[in-house]
Amino acid sequence: MTSPKTSSPTHKRPLLPPKFVQAMLAGHSALGLAFAALIYIVCLTGTIAVFMFELQRWEQPDIAPIPHSVSAEVVANALQAGQRQALADNAAHDLFIMGPNPHSGYARLAVGYRDHETDVRGDWIANADGDLVARAQAPWTTFVTVLHGSLHLPHTWGAFLVGLTGVALLSSLVSGLLSHPRMFKDAFHLRWGGSRRLQDADLHNRLGVWGLPFHFVVSLSGALIGLATLVVGVLALAAYDGDTEKAFAAILGPHAGPDESAGPLPDIAAMIRAVQAAKPDAVFTSANFDHIAKADQVVHLGMRAPGHLPLANVYYFKGDGMALGDGGLEEGGIGQQILGVLQPLHFGWFGGIPVKLAYGVLGIALSIVTYTGVTIWLSRRRDKGRPAPGWEKIWAGVGWGQPLALGLSALAALYLGSPIIIPAYLAASALAILFALGCRSGTAAAAILRTASAFVLLAVVFAHLTIWNGRVVDTMGVAVDTTLLLVALGLLMPLAKRRSGVNTMAPSLTK
Amino acid sequence: MTPAVTFSFFGTLLLINGIAFLRRSWLGKRPRNLLSLIFGWFAVVAGIALFCHAWGGEVGMAYALLVFSLAAFLVIAFGIEDRSHRRQKVRDVAPEPEERLTNWRRATAKALLSIVLAGVAAIGIGVAFAVSAPMETHDRIVIGGLLVPVLWGGGMAWTLADAKLLRATLLLLLISALSYGIAFLPKALAL
Repeated sequence: MTSPKTSSPTHKRPLLPPKFVQAMLAGHSALGLAFAALIYIVCLTGTIAVFMFELQRWEQPDIAPIPHSVSAEVVANALQAGQRQALADNAAHDLFIMGPNPHSGYARLAVGYRDHETDVRGDWIANADGDLVARAQAPWTTFVTVLHGSLHLPHTWGAFLVGLTGVALLSSLVSGLLSHPRMFKDAFHLRWGGSRRLQDADLHNRLGVWGLPFHFVVSLSGALIGLATLVVGVLALAAYDGDTEKAFAAILGPHAGPDESAGPLPDIAAMIRAVQAAKPDAVFTSANFDHIAKADQVVHLGMRAPGHLPLANVYYFKGDGMALGDGGLEEGGIGQQILGVLQPLHFGWFGGIPVKLAYGVLGIALSIVTYTGVTIWLSRRRDKGRPAPGWEKIWAGVGWGQPLALGLSALAALYLGSPIIIPAYLAASALAILFALGCRSGTAAAAILRTASAFVLLAVVFAHLTIWNGRVVDTMGVAVDTTLLLVALGLLMPLAKRRSGVNTMAPSLTK
Repeated sequence: MTPAVTFSFFGTLLLINGIAFLRRSWLGKRPRNLLSLIFGWFAVVAGIALFCHAWGGEVGMAYALLVFSLAAFLVIAFGIEDRSHRRQKVRDVAPEPEERLTNWRRATAKALLSIVLAGVAAIGIGVAFAVSAPMETHDRIVIGGLLVPVLWGGGMAWTLADAKLLRATLLLLLISALSYGIAFLPKALAL
């Protein structure tokens, strides 16, 4: 981060020595430039991933939502229906049920199963009685969440790279704060217009500093989630004879044993009632059946009690209903509680739509902080007589190419289905950069790509409305379309103002 | 409105007012604005307390911090200074990063130092903590894991800011040797 002022009108001794500030700023610049594109993509897709459950419903709006938690009998029915379907698909190895949870904003009853050996899997949506009604289909949401979590690279490597990006972001927050000696004095300055460098520096610093609790939490939790495999791998070498599964089990609870002979289908309703006997206000959120209907099967039952941040506490049972303890995510030790809050705090899944909207705003703020970090560097070069017009165009192509590419990938998902999403996204991202390089300036490229993004979003709304015309039963479909429409209009606003003669657009880098 | 929503509403008002008073204080000159400073912080703390009272400490604090950030954005947005027609003053110029002579060899060494060696050292400390800290298994593993990104990020910031490569290299090597020694010592002793 950069501070907008160097010299103080008073003659107080600065809190941080100028030499130290300059050194920190140099490190901050180097790190920011090295990781800018990755951080930007991860932040932007992360902001979208906050609304993952809403987007899943938007992609399949012909299924009625279930706004409240479901009863033990409904879960038991869903389990039986899921097991029947899993057997029919020859994939009855592990089964997963996820129920509605107003806390996280999930409003469906979903049943999934997979066989790790054959890699056959199925994902279904059940109705409020627990009967399977349709296969779950949300290819674009899956695309965005995987892009955010592992960049569509092989999972271990992708997650590590995203974790490293989280570390870089965390490090940038530290070096940014330490290179900002007038943090408090300048805390409320936002100068707009005039010098582009000053404007971007103010925006970068204000959004960065005041959003710090959010930026710190999402980068730390994201880094930990991404690096978990690597850290646990080293831990396994040190303390678990190299057995990573054993190390994970130490924190994530027991897993099924090796005996795969036939066993009974677990009585999930009895397990839910057992938990509710001890915690009457706990409601069902999820159940994970490891090696279902096998002799050594283990059930992880998620039950949420009010007043806590975690999505749920996990209760462990053997297949015959014998309790094996719980994960302590709500009221256990400090480590268990930290584990419980990682996911809800990272994705904003702890207060329904209002918290998600707040996360959306703060996620966009973090993306702007990343984008302006690079534009400040480019403006500084220009101010010093060493402009880098090529990099100005490339960065405009990266920054405004992403909304465009994500919009085009959504359009591809709506019209052409899942196989074309990744090629469409990659092609659009690359073409946006090539197009930007052909523009007369970075500012011009940004303006054109922003306008194109708006029109693509409008096309997405149009496509969604025409494809699902007359079949929408979930109002979330309409709500997401309306939001996309508003975002598109927001992106077009600078263009409309310029045409009407009011130039409030960011001043050109050449100014 | 439920009591929790009512408390949240007043908590939000307090946070916005508190930040507005802090703005007044920080943009003005002391000691004239000391009262604004005191009232500002008092309102911020009271707003957070209202959220915690309404939703419990765990959820209330998370809500309050979100509203705190958004309230600050709102206060800043209301105070935007339009400088389209003003000339830039000398004191408006941002501080410059340290000018350093660099080359590809030095840049590669810095990257290896900040990404690889700082990472190796951070993972070493995290795993040493996870293996040896006198805590419950869950607690030491999760806290040890949490230490890794924090220390790695701190190490990255430090190594990239420090112009003396040798000093950072030696220190990180020493930390790595010590931490992996602690992490793997119980296993080595058991053999």
